[in-house]
Amino acid sequence: MDIWQSLALGFGVALDPINLAYCFLGVFIGTLVGVLPGIGPVAAMSLLLPVTFNITPEAGIIMLAGIYYGSMYGGSTTAILVNIPGEAASVITTIDGHQMARQGRAGPALGMAAIGSFIAGTLAIVGLMLLAPPLTKLAVKFGPVEYFSLMVLGLTILSYLTHGSMLKALVMACFGVVLGLIGLDSISATPRLTFDRLELIDGIGLVPIVMGLFGVAEILVNLERELKRSIVEAKITGLMPTLKDWGMSKWALARGSLIGFFLGILPGGGAVIASFLSYAVEKRISATPERFGHGAIEGVAGPEAANNAAAGGAFIPLMTLGIPPNVIMALLLGAFMVHGLQPGPLMMTRNPEVFWGIIASMYVGNIMLLVLNLPLVGMWVQVLRVPYRILFPLILMFCIIGVFSVGNAIFDIYVMIGFGIVGYLMRKFGYEGAPLVLAFVLGPLLENNLRKSLILSRGDFMTFVERPISAACLGLALLLLLSTLVPWLRAKRQKIALDETA
Amino acid sequence: MSALARGGIYAAVLILAALAGTIPVAAQEFPTRPVTLIVPWPAGGATDRHFRVLAETTSRHLGQPIVVDNKPGGSGTVGPATLAATSKPDGYTLAQLPITVFRMPHMVKVSYNPAKDFSFIIHVTGYTFATMVRADAPWKTWQEFIAHAKANPGKVSYGSPGTGSTLHVTMEQIALQNGVKWTHVPFKGEGEMTPALLGGHVMASAGGTGSSQLVEAGELRYLVFWTQDRLKRFANVPTLLEVGEKIVSNSPYGVAGPKGMDPKIVKILHDAFKKGMEEPAHRKVLDELDQEYIYMNSADYAAAALRTIDEQGALIESLGLKAK
Repeated sequence: MDIWQSLALGFGVALDPINLAYCFLGVFIGTLVGVLPGIGPVAAMSLLLPVTFNITPEAGIIMLAGIYYGSMYGGSTTAILVNIPGEAASVITTIDGHQMARQGRAGPALGMAAIGSFIAGTLAIVGLMLLAPPLTKLAVKFGPVEYFSLMVLGLTILSYLTHGSMLKALVMACFGVVLGLIGLDSISATPRLTFDRLELIDGIGLVPIVMGLFGVAEILVNLERELKRSIVEAKITGLMPTLKDWGMSKWALARGSLIGFFLGILPGGGAVIASFLSYAVEKRISATPERFGHGAIEGVAGPEAANNAAAGGAFIPLMTLGIPPNVIMALLLGAFMVHGLQPGPLMMTRNPEVFWGIIASMYVGNIMLLVLNLPLVGMWVQVLRVPYRILFPLILMFCIIGVFSVGNAIFDIYVMIGFGIVGYLMRKFGYEGAPLVLAFVLGPLLENNLRKSLILSRGDFMTFVERPISAACLGLALLLLLSTLVPWLRAKRQKIALDETA
Repeated sequence: MSALARGGIYAAVLILAALAGTIPVAAQEFPTRPVTLIVPWPAGGATDRHFRVLAETTSRHLGQPIVVDNKPGGSGTVGPATLAATSKPDGYTLAQLPITVFRMPHMVKVSYNPAKDFSFIIHVTGYTFATMVRADAPWKTWQEFIAHAKANPGKVSYGSPGTGSTLHVTMEQIALQNGVKWTHVPFKGEGEMTPALLGGHVMASAGGTGSSQLVEAGELRYLVFWTQDRLKRFANVPTLLEVGEKIVSNSPYGVAGPKGMDPKIVKILHDAFKKGMEEPAHRKVLDELDQEYIYMNSADYAAAALRTIDEQGALIESLGLKAK
């Protein structure tokens, strides 16, 4: 069966009226949970998993998949409007997205996020369809050694992320690493920093930290401001991105899609890291990096493309190997299993209607999302007119519900409130939350892969330069570091030269 | 107040008292809200797949949804330890008890007492484990693999889904019996371990049948199963017993709640789980995972648990993994 026949079969399944309805339901719920801060796709999909037991496997999985990629669309909305990420992968969108909103450009920011999401989402499906088997081969080439070096490269790129003090960013990164250490050591199963508290044995969750640092802290900071309603007073100029915006964003979209798609395939990578990395890359290669942090549209386009492409890429290991790269894909795997289907290398031949049906439904779902989200832009902008005294308690409520729904643990709510206060103090003293979140995500992965690499190489550090992928990543990281050194050297030399002539 | 009216009140009080005595309020109403079932493994592994089906088939008989809550960590002990320490014995929070719950207390300091801190509800099944290699690996049989490991001490690496897991402990038990020294690489569950084997980052892995499709597709090869009998689906692969290792390792598991549960609630849950286990969908998922149906009622399961605690203590001591 060639690809066109397969795709025709898939669209036959996806365009079935019942499957269309479930697809719409999925992307609609996904948009909603994405918009509501704290409530992420994991909670929504676990709650709705039982609903799929009584419908056909295609319909059930089409709906659950819709929730996932739909939530990536919605997550940017509150990030842009009120500086509170709808889910963890939209943390980075707050930086420039919210600045754009403050300048009265909430519409273009939201429009760019929606259209960027559509483009990246669609590209990811094309990639999933055409490149799944070879990419799977590439993905398994990444062992502990390669992961370690990839993360070193990632961290090097990300060290350009900060736009304030480098020292303060490092302090935050260290704080994040220490937070990531909490819990049972992943190699020897020894408890670390748990203070004999059982709640800490599993470590602390990403969602409570993000919602505290960004959600609760934002509300606390706003409490002490005079309610001048600066956002609404700024004239809202246009709802759609202008041609100039497009010109600035097109390559950011392309790069974001690539970064997201590839990191989505790798286990443990995923949308959060992809969005951070895309932002750092855009800032790094921009001719005007000083615009970042002050409403650069590339800073919205890149990360939003990245987190949507990651959502698409994550399907590859699940569909081709039967291996879920993240918790969300694991939930989908559960849904397959309930229906007696086993995703894996044989699914394409054994259940082509399911395999291609899901892929075709993702094209359909992405179009639905665009149609659903573009008209909503106008409505979301109106949200800014809701008085803060009503808007903020509502947001706080959704944060609490969302954080609780992840692990059904009251402790998580305390963690969120605690980090809300920490986040408030951080703002007061000019510390940023992004390096902390990133270090918290990457720190434990870095440690785990370093230790596994050394177990495998029997303590030999040469393993990192002997393996080609790893060596390439480390070499690139070194080049990046040197490139910052060179202008510095040049500046220094010039200064010395000036001194001499003086 | 007339004598008749007084008598009526007494009668009503007596009836109420009798009702209250025979049907405790909690049991009468149980369950009025969804039950949480802690699965101490990451979502997507074999246990998670199994319990997501069992939770669904059981909820049909319980009348309330059973929500699977993945609490991975500590080779499957974090979830049950959390249950023992923080959950009310009201029947609304249950957990899978993997064998590590009985083993870890012999290896490290834990916060729970495996013999006393749980109300055992029902025994469900055991795992099917195997040692596997890549399909293009030079070792066609278990004997070849062991011979290679003997000739190259420390150079053969294998992945397991965590330190202290049955897969880790059994591989070390095998090493001990054969005088082999190999390198253990602990992963965070099979979802991370299998790609590492596929990519050749470890030479072998000790895992379940979650990757059976990869074997069928010609990517991986089972060298040996750790079951009592050969598997129907892979009838050409021998068991450890057949290759002379004298080991059957299936780490049986069941469902438990915190200590001090009302026996009536235990019975309601047991009956619902029993019916859920008998549902065709559940039988089917066990078949798909190549797991056996090993039912035990609450009392038998509690007795088996006590035996397991002692057996594990002896095993850990003989392997030199005992807590100092």
